[in-house]
Amino acid sequence: MRAKLTAATGLLWVSTALVLLACAEIRMQAADMKFQAFLLWGTDDNKPPEGKAYKPVDPEISKKLKDLPLKWAHWFEVNQVAFAVSPGATKEVPISEKCQLNVKQLAGPEVEVSLVGKGKEVVKRKQSLPKGEMLVLGGNAPNSTAWLVLLKRIE
Amino acid sequence: MDYDSQLKLQALLDGELPEVEASKVAQWLARDPEAAALSEELRNTRAALAGFETGIQLPESREFFWSKVQRDIQRVETPATKPASMPLYALLRRFLVPASALALVVIAGVVLTRPGPSGLTPAAEIETALADSGAFTYRDYSAGATLVWLSYPADTEIADNDEMGTVE
Repeated sequence: MRAKLTAATGLLWVSTALVLLACAEIRMQAADMKFQAFLLWGTDDNKPPEGKAYKPVDPEISKKLKDLPLKWAHWFEVNQVAFAVSPGATKEVPISEKCQLNVKQLAGPEVEVSLVGKGKEVVKRKQSLPKGEMLVLGGNAPNSTAWLVLLKRIE
Repeated sequence: MDYDSQLKLQALLDGELPEVEASKVAQWLARDPEAAALSEELRNTRAALAGFETGIQLPESREFFWSKVQRDIQRVETPATKPASMPLYALLRRFLVPASALALVVIAGVVLTRPGPSGLTPAAEIETALADSGAFTYRDYSAGATLVWLSYPADTEIADNDEMGTVE
């Protein structure tokens, strides 16, 4: 009787371990990552440059930008691209005529992001980017303005 | 009248005396009025008691009745048995069941929240290459944002009359 009980307990443990491993494996099988990339222009003026129909940036993003050490008061959206990246794949996303973002999905929440400007790789970065978080790449622009390429993970 | 004489009268009345002695006691009884009075009293007493000696009829057999009595006596006399000591295996099982459940929860937590194969925690980040030596990185954990400020484009590339010309 006791031997049967011990065997049953062992079987239960093995089953539990297998179920846990299966769950972990399922969890680790990454799905496509979905992103939104924005090209933003920052200025202290409250209007976009003449001849440009840039719209003000989304209030949620604007709020997050205010938490960052950026001195510009107003941000305008120059372009926006939504895209998905499969596990292990690299997606080349043109943000503008001169600027391109390459995003590669790595293991877990990690991504490798590289920014290409005028055909030249400006920065290449590997980091964890969980859902809802964002990576902001930026620099100075003419007339004391700024540009930002903002990559936000949607899913 | 002494005690032996009284007993002999009782024995005569009960028919327990041998014949010879019984005739002697009878003769004595005929002579002695005190003995005759005692004998008469004993006879009356026996007659009175005889009417009350009918046996009580039990609704069950005698053996069964007494077996019940015996069982009751044994039940009362048997000391309360002290609880049997718990075997070691049962004690271990009592400890192991909740411990196993706890261990299971911990294992599940560890397995399901462990970082990816690279061993990086979610907050970990690595800069693999940075062509821009003048860049700096700022991480705002509360906002869930990482800012990488680049010196790109170089100041020499910025044309004052071409806003956003470097990236757009």
